[in-house]
Amino acid sequence: MLIRTVAISLSLAVLAGCAAPTRYIDPAADDGPVAMTMDYRDFEKAATDSVEDMLASGAVNNPNGGRYIMVVSRITNDTMQRIDTDQLTKKIRVALLRSGKVVTTTAVGLNGAEDEMSMKARELRDSEEFDQSGVQRKGTLQAPDLSLSGKILQRNHRVGKEQQVEYYIQLSLTDLASGLAFWEGETPIIKRGSDSSVSW
Amino acid sequence: MKRILFASMLVLGLAGCATQPETSSSLIDRQELKVDPEVIYTMNVTELFEERLAQTGGESLLQVQFAVEARSDAELAWKVTWFDASGMTVKGVGEGYRKASLLTGQTRYFKATAPHARVVSYQLHLREPK
Repeated sequence: MLIRTVAISLSLAVLAGCAAPTRYIDPAADDGPVAMTMDYRDFEKAATDSVEDMLASGAVNNPNGGRYIMVVSRITNDTMQRIDTDQLTKKIRVALLRSGKVVTTTAVGLNGAEDEMSMKARELRDSEEFDQSGVQRKGTLQAPDLSLSGKILQRNHRVGKEQQVEYYIQLSLTDLASGLAFWEGETPIIKRGSDSSVSW
Repeated sequence: MKRILFASMLVLGLAGCATQPETSSSLIDRQELKVDPEVIYTMNVTELFEERLAQTGGESLLQVQFAVEARSDAELAWKVTWFDASGMTVKGVGEGYRKASLLTGQTRYFKATAPHARVVSYQLHLREPK
């Protein structure tokens, strides 16, 4: 009985010792293994390439001076993964805002406003309960000049005994006045790995 | 015994009187190009250009282009850190290193654009991905 208890305890101790410890990863110095699925490094690469190209092309330079107002339109996820496309668009929005050239409106969106408070706050108009000097007046919301839309595609191939997964991140920046795409970009992310690894 | 104790005390006392190692207050100039030794064995930076892209309103954006020639098949990780006139870092889109593969004899050209017009200098770091 004692031997069995000691054996079980020792096995548990050994197994516990084998478990990988939980640790923080610094995104600025991450040389960790690559997953076949899209990870944060892929979104960062796509966002960096897109923003640098947008800035260098001059597409976000407002000829009238000041900042362009951008709205985020539909980013279609045509992959086998459940992706929150905000992972990509947020990085682009933040970088464009920091550049001082583009500001994003949250008052308009394809499926309603991203932040409904812009309209809700206006419902306080004519309410006797609120000091009307602080209530937003009519005609103060700014309409967008530019729209960011895109698509994330995935294609799987078998290459010899390996699997190749191709992701294409396609983005367009449309001038809403003319309907013309002022800027377009595509970032391919190609991964090759074990055929047994899954990419969804 | 007393002599040993006296000698030890004297040595300790003298050590206490020793002047502190001189610490330089002058800072080392930041290199524009920083290449890790592991990378130098396999590749060579053949070009490093910078130019300012004119923007509306009289502003301009700093753009950097560099070329790397590989002596053997190699992996490269690179990153540009941007600085304003005060030497403070200006945040870009991402923080991570960008990775690239080079084939023997291949020359690859890479380009990076500053995230803001206030960027005046940069540091390009080339290293080997683990």
